[in-house]
Amino acid sequence: MSQTTPTKIPPVCHFWEIWRNPIFLRYCRARLRPTGLGASCLITILVSGFLFQMIRTFSDNRTELDVMDIERAPLVTLLIIQAFILFVLGTAQASGGMTAERDEGVIDYQRLLPMSSVSKVIGYLFGLPIRETVMFLCTLPFTLWCFIRGQVPLGVMLSIYGVMASTTLLYHLTGLLTGTIVKNRRWAFLMTIGLIFSLYTIIPQAAKFGLVFFKYLTITPTIQDAMPDLVPKTFGAAIDVSRRLFSEARFFNLDFPEAVFTWFTQACLIITFFVMLCRRWRDADAHLSGKLWASGFFLWIQILLLGNSIPLIDSGKLFPTQQFARFSVFTRGQQWEPDRWEAMAMILAYGFLTLILLWVMSSLITPSYETVVNGWRRAHKLQKNRLPLLADESNSTPYVLVMSLIGGAGWFYFTHMIVESRWFPGHFSPISNSGWFLLAIVTCGLLHHLILELKGTRTLFMCIIFIVVVPLMLSAILFGTSDRLQPLALWVGGISPLGLPFLTAANHLSITELPLLIDRTVPSVWTFWQGVYIIVIMRLTYSLYQKRSRLKATLLSQSSAPTST
Amino acid sequence: MTSIDIRDLRVDYGDFTAVHDLTLQVPAGEVFGIVGPNGAGKTSTFRVLASLSRPTYGEVRLAGIDAIEDKENARRLIGYMPDLAPVPRDLKCGEFLRFYARAHGLGNAKECAKRADECLEQVALTDHKNHWCHKLSRGQTQRLVLAKTMLHRPKVLILDEPASGLDPLARRDLRQTLRNLTAEGATIFISSHILTELAEMCTSLCVMSRGRLLASGTVEEVRRQLGDDSRRLTVTPLQALSAVPEWLSNLPGVAAAFIEQEQLAIDFLGDDDAQASVLEEFLRRGLRIRSFQEKRSSYEEILIDVAEKSRAQV
Repeated sequence: MSQTTPTKIPPVCHFWEIWRNPIFLRYCRARLRPTGLGASCLITILVSGFLFQMIRTFSDNRTELDVMDIERAPLVTLLIIQAFILFVLGTAQASGGMTAERDEGVIDYQRLLPMSSVSKVIGYLFGLPIRETVMFLCTLPFTLWCFIRGQVPLGVMLSIYGVMASTTLLYHLTGLLTGTIVKNRRWAFLMTIGLIFSLYTIIPQAAKFGLVFFKYLTITPTIQDAMPDLVPKTFGAAIDVSRRLFSEARFFNLDFPEAVFTWFTQACLIITFFVMLCRRWRDADAHLSGKLWASGFFLWIQILLLGNSIPLIDSGKLFPTQQFARFSVFTRGQQWEPDRWEAMAMILAYGFLTLILLWVMSSLITPSYETVVNGWRRAHKLQKNRLPLLADESNSTPYVLVMSLIGGAGWFYFTHMIVESRWFPGHFSPISNSGWFLLAIVTCGLLHHLILELKGTRTLFMCIIFIVVVPLMLSAILFGTSDRLQPLALWVGGISPLGLPFLTAANHLSITELPLLIDRTVPSVWTFWQGVYIIVIMRLTYSLYQKRSRLKATLLSQSSAPTST
Repeated sequence: MTSIDIRDLRVDYGDFTAVHDLTLQVPAGEVFGIVGPNGAGKTSTFRVLASLSRPTYGEVRLAGIDAIEDKENARRLIGYMPDLAPVPRDLKCGEFLRFYARAHGLGNAKECAKRADECLEQVALTDHKNHWCHKLSRGQTQRLVLAKTMLHRPKVLILDEPASGLDPLARRDLRQTLRNLTAEGATIFISSHILTELAEMCTSLCVMSRGRLLASGTVEEVRRQLGDDSRRLTVTPLQALSAVPEWLSNLPGVAAAFIEQEQLAIDFLGDDDAQASVLEEFLRRGLRIRSFQEKRSSYEEILIDVAEKSRAQV
């Protein structure tokens, strides 16, 4: 057979040449048609122009505001409109558009284009929400007017738009990723909107419970930081005081401006999402993340979580009640001290978050039965008796174990720093306790991974419903029914692996404040359920080992099928 | 020169093996057909060839380029038309083609537009240049996607059921288009359920069933490989025969003979030479014959037979 030597053919466009990217240009053509774009721009200009002029007119009538204040007045409203266009409409378009490509079946055509996966992702990233970008540009003259005439410092303007750009990128990548995974167009749209809504409403509450990292996934800290320069001076003065009280972007011993730290935090997620999308473009059946990348990403998130929260413990700024106490008329003038319950709540919040993240990462790297079988067949054909170490089909248990240990160590370190801080004298969390914390996270991590690999996603889903969620619900009902039923509630709640972090913390930390009846029950409940789960894990590990060995033996012993020609 | 070289290709979906160690070579410039009942493994083979799916194992080389490892370069050679030929809802026909022309680096905007127009003309859709893609009829959509597939003058065209939904005129045009493409040096890998049609279009073909290759070669070779070399000869004498002549059973190739509706029916297994000898014998013995007909299994019957056998094996 004569063979053509593959020659290096120049790419259709380099990944940075967005203006030449065919996928970007295709969406410019489709989404910037005069009729659709005209209507969208008209509505945007009408709304922004109306609010801009109305707020200025109202401000003009207030005698205490000078000219500069009047010009600044519409700024926050206009920024909200811009954020809505880019974050909500743009992200929904990114996810919905991606799902539509797959739904219509044309995604295969795009896969076949002789372009690199990076160029394809960039084409979609900037192309799909192109109309929303133009709508955003329509609002820009109004905000620029406010920035310039309102004499807002250039640095503030640049940091706001810089963070808006990185946040937009992050959300649009999230949208693309959702669109790549979710098969139904409506679900992809709803999930994306839900994700962004929760980022600005629910997740900031998590930030109040020690998970400071989450607020840097939004534009909020940068806006808060810049607020004194964005509003009229009268309000700005008051905000400036609160900014000095709140605004701190600390990462271990380093101090960062809010905008810089937001970029730093978001960059890690942007790169990870980008890598995931590129993997999927290269191979439609590949795992979203490689094993090493997933482990590194998990470690990085733990470092960010700890780096943001640990420096705030000593000053007390990590505790939610301190912020409340500052403004409450009831506590003003009193010496503030954190409550033990809030320390416990923060410890549990960290534990739960670590677990959920661990489960997500474990789901990303655990190979399905089909992947493993195909891997062994491939190995057999290549006359190898082991799977490639980092391939999707290889054993992911060691990586889940490593991530569990990282998570457990992170959780224990957080707990240790809170309990042994100056706020809780007489309470200790000795290093000797760390084993129990590690055990709790390893138990939960492995349980999820083993069930997923042994039984598949459907069984795992049923287990999450009936073993994780339902016992917690029952426990909550029993807990509220009567005091006498509280020990029973604890026993029932212990069935759920999500109860393990609580039981571990309650059993090993003196800081825990529990009613006497529960306090007495905790040790036996923890011992029993932790023991049960260890036995279950040993059993599942053995079954998985047997299953893998059987599979390997069966597939490697098969003689290759006769070749048909 | 081998244009498509498939070696030991296997595709699995869990425990189901869609393609079972397939080895196949297609020389350049051929129209190679792939036939088989549903679930034969045609689309799985096509998707691997088009570098859209990763096989369990095996090698696929297109004009010498590894289509599994060097996808980006292989994709420059491939023109793939999937079954049901989807089109985007937000583009017009001309825009649709210009986009792919640009994506394949066919020059500046003007050159891309020119090439798009040429392809539209080839599939007789010039009048529909400014029509929305999704508003075309099924047959027009098929033709539009065929135009998109030919756009970058691929060396290997992979066409999954390209004739479905086409009217007879469009089918004739498709045949002509394929001939033109092969004349330009392209190799065409094509699938269809309509075996008669495929036999007309293809220079060679293969038959697959349950992921395995049953036969490959020219149409006649495939017929022989499938063991379907039998034919029925029907002899209509001028005067009706009362019984089957005894000498007939001694002739080479004659498996059975019987009288059916005043005609003499012969189940014949011999080759063309032996068949000529039968006719010769009739004439030599002075038997006056009104007609001498040969009837072979149609391609459709062969395919149905293969499908039934494969169903029986499940």
